Amino acid sequence: MYNLILRDLYLALYSSANFFYTSSFFILILVLLPFIFGTSIDQLQLLFKGILWIGLSLSIILTMERIFNTDYEDGSLDIILQKNSSLEIIVISKYISHWVVYCLPLFIILPLLSLLFYLNTSDVFAIFLNLLLGSFGMIFIATFVSALTLAAKRTIFLKAIIMIPLFVPFVIFGSGDNSWLILLALSMLSFVVSIYVSTYGLRLYGES
Amino acid sequence: MKELRIEDLNCYRGSHLVLKRLNFSINSGETLLVRGDNGSGKTTLLRALSNYIRSYEGNIYFDELKTKEDHKYKNKFTFIGQKNSLKDNLSVKKNLKLWEFLYNRKISPIEILSEFNLSQLIDDDVSSLSDGQRKCISIQKLRFSESMLWFLDEPFVFLDEKNSKILMKKIENFNKKNGIVIVTTNIDLGLKFQKEINLNV
Repeated sequence: MYNLILRDLYLALYSSANFFYTSSFFILILVLLPFIFGTSIDQLQLLFKGILWIGLSLSIILTMERIFNTDYEDGSLDIILQKNSSLEIIVISKYISHWVVYCLPLFIILPLLSLLFYLNTSDVFAIFLNLLLGSFGMIFIATFVSALTLAAKRTIFLKAIIMIPLFVPFVIFGSGDNSWLILLALSMLSFVVSIYVSTYGLRLYGES
Repeated sequence: MKELRIEDLNCYRGSHLVLKRLNFSINSGETLLVRGDNGSGKTTLLRALSNYIRSYEGNIYFDELKTKEDHKYKNKFTFIGQKNSLKDNLSVKKNLKLWEFLYNRKISPIEILSEFNLSQLIDDDVSSLSDGQRKCISIQKLRFSESMLWFLDEPFVFLDEKNSKILMKKIENFNKKNGIVIVTTNIDLGLKFQKEINLNV
């Protein structure tokens, strides 16, 4: 399990998905805001939270093909399936490595970003907690969609159409206040569905 | 003496029956050449032997144990498919490092590359290599696991004469150590192996 996580982190580090790139992505999306909506602080604070959720969804949607699809295409999945004792371990390692590469950078730079928008600490903490709990569930959803669409090459739009409706509950509750318990519940629910569906998808892979 | 035995194997791909009542057995130290046209089920056979396809009818035994039910079978074979398991945008050295993680075993890159005389490519990106060079590196996945069974799917495709001979030598040495090899091919290579089956008939 550790080996698979380390392997994915090593791969991400050297294939233009390292910390620098992912955090720059989030920063640039936020920097777009004042250009679109002007520089009035009140308005920007209102938009800040929404854009964070859009940024997180985008970074997960755009990179979801790297969870299983790229390994499927070059045949590495054969080795992964052979060398790991259970499919559940493979899926859980993928959750961890994908979350670390594509979500963790957001949480590291979030305090810094909030300075740009004059937010106070308690607001930032609430946003941080909501995003954190929501991000787990979104990764779970992206993983099972990736596992089910292994053989569908370069169909990122199709996959986005499948995933975005599933992200809706996270975004609805995530943009509200004091809703971290609901997000936690949603993430736990999607974990249960995701681990079952992802392993089913990988089992089918052998047959395809 | 260990034996890999297949009894009445039927296997479907979609709604097609590609392998029909296939029977053969192969002993330690032997190599089986599987011949057949495109789509005759060579890859399907190897994927069934490697447990990737599990919905077949009939039985596959290795060492008198059903491969489907033997949990340790996973560590007894190495499957080299037609896909190379190489990431195009990384250098050869980094790709070998990825394999080290996957197989959980450390082998120096020079040792792996020198067998096919590719040591000078160590820092090149995989995207700049030729198909033959990629194939040679892919075949070296054999070095990462100590198994008694090698399943090689079209290993001679893209290889030049010199490298084909190196691979033949490798197979012969493995046979001498009581290893079992199954090789597929769809063209006549003029190579001699102990056993041969043809999936066309």
